[in-house]
Amino acid sequence: MKSISLYEEKGSILNKLAPESKILYIILALVLPAIVGSKMVSVVFIAISIGLLLFSKVLKKTIPILGVSGFVLLTVVIIQGLFRAGNVTPLLTLGPVIFYKEGLLFAFNIVVNVLNILLSFCVLILATKPSDMIENFVRKGFSPRFGYVFISVFQIIPQMTETMATITDAQRSRGMETEGNLLVRIKAFLPLISPVVMSSLINTKERALALEVRGFNAKNKKTFLNDEKKSSADKYIQITMILLLIAGIVWRVVGCLK
Amino acid sequence: MDNNKILEMKALHFSYTEGDEILKGLDFVIDERSTAIIGQNGAGKTTFVKLLKGLLRPTSGSIHFEGNDIANMTVAQLAKHIGMVFQNPNDQIFKNRVIDEVMFGPLKIGMAESVAKQKADEALELVGLKDLAEKNPYDLGLSSRKLVAIASIIAMDTKVIIFDEPTIAQDYHGKELIKSVIRKLRFEGKTVITIIHDMDFVADTFERAIVFAKGNILLDGTTRDVFAKEDILKEAYLEQPNVTKLCQSLGYDEVFLTTEEFITYQKAKAK
Ligand SMILES: Nc1ncnc2c1ncn2[C@@H]1O[C@H](COP(=O)(O)OP(=O)(O)OP(=O)(O)O)[C@@H](O)[C@H]1O
Ligand SMILES: [Mg+2]
Repeated sequence: MKSISLYEEKGSILNKLAPESKILYIILALVLPAIVGSKMVSVVFIAISIGLLLFSKVLKKTIPILGVSGFVLLTVVIIQGLFRAGNVTPLLTLGPVIFYKEGLLFAFNIVVNVLNILLSFCVLILATKPSDMIENFVRKGFSPRFGYVFISVFQIIPQMTETMATITDAQRSRGMETEGNLLVRIKAFLPLISPVVMSSLINTKERALALEVRGFNAKNKKTFLNDEKKSSADKYIQITMILLLIAGIVWRVVGCLK
Repeated sequence: MDNNKILEMKALHFSYTEGDEILKGLDFVIDERSTAIIGQNGAGKTTFVKLLKGLLRPTSGSIHFEGNDIANMTVAQLAKHIGMVFQNPNDQIFKNRVIDEVMFGPLKIGMAESVAKQKADEALELVGLKDLAEKNPYDLGLSSRKLVAIASIIAMDTKVIIFDEPTIAQDYHGKELIKSVIRKLRFEGKTVITIIHDMDFVADTFERAIVFAKGNILLDGTTRDVFAKEDILKEAYLEQPNVTKLCQSLGYDEVFLTTEEFITYQKAKAK
């Protein structure tokens, strides 16, 4: 079954860390630059993220993600660089086109922020199994019902695409055209979608029964099938990150008081 | 008549992902005999019949239907000649009335409304669901829904009919019904190909058996010849039909496929 999650087990250090450490990393990467008020901090975090991803052998998987946003960022750079109100200092002249320093700086800030957000999230998403993350939340007191809902999304969507493929095959086998112009596709839609919906409903009912049989609603304390995902380094990493955060806040407060 | 080439496979190779070959060069002919395809889970049986339907295309080699390479036909065109009943009827059924469901395929392949209605009625009659024609298929049990799915392919009146696991969820009565349907189709000159794990059913119903194992054909012959080869069947993780096993253990040299056969033999001997 194809997975919709971007995660891949590579046995890397990032794979072995607890999901919380990676979530904390995202928070740190996003909040610390704001607290300290320097774009340089964001740049440092971008470098750290790239380093971590490279080390975990998943940097290549960020390319499609960066590719899409890269296009948008490029237009931001061009438009701000050329037309931003307050552009006065020409920096770069390409024939008749003049890029201004103010606009480019503004665009640079946006690019840095976006890259920082994307890459730090990649550190979590590309190296964490969704169900591990949610199980750890449940361990920390998150409702198992909601946990189940989130986990099942990752199972049900691939299952539905698979069912959809089988159903498409079954209807094509009965002579239905599913490829062609819009009208052909619209006409094909009903015979395809109603079995999908019906079988999802049937599945849901059976799933509910199966869960109940295994005591899903039981009031007792629940145990977990999988071991908690964490390593001995996690505690130190988390403490370090929290200390960094506190240090940032203190530095800023002291700076303000002066 | 039995030697008509209905379907001919020539050096048929197929893989879903490169380097992991599922079908490893099949060369054989399917004629008008009713044919059972048997083999362990994952042997490539479903993959093979999907190739016949054009739902998958060979990575190399070719399939010919009545002499024409099916590579030149679309799935919709092939549907006029080769029908297939999928394993799970829920993947197919979408109309609110049984009769509409059964008429959908015939209408899609270009039958006139009146002809389609007539074929649908006949098909429902054949599977014993004539009285349920106006019912909603979702109000029927799984075994009846399966029969609706079977009827809706039979109504398309194709030369070749493929069943993937037709006996799943069927009780004795249902199995006997499907047996009679297969025999009747055969009698009408249709080529029936069936993927199936129930060896007693195979022994009783089919003239020819083809054993798939790891993407190759391990055995191919009349049902009797195939089921005589206990050792090779074991190699493919298959069992002989119960009667065959029993009589072999009892030391009979003959190969019996059904209880009736054995009883007739014993009675004749007693006389
Ligand atoms: N869509 C697919 N993508 C990749 N591999 C597949 C796909 N469908 C089937 N396979 C693989 O191809 C092999 C043959 O599968 P196939 O479904 O043809 O077996 P089968 O003989 O029909 O088995 P069964 O008796 O369980 O129905 C299996 O190893 C299966 O995992
Ligand atoms: Mg199969």
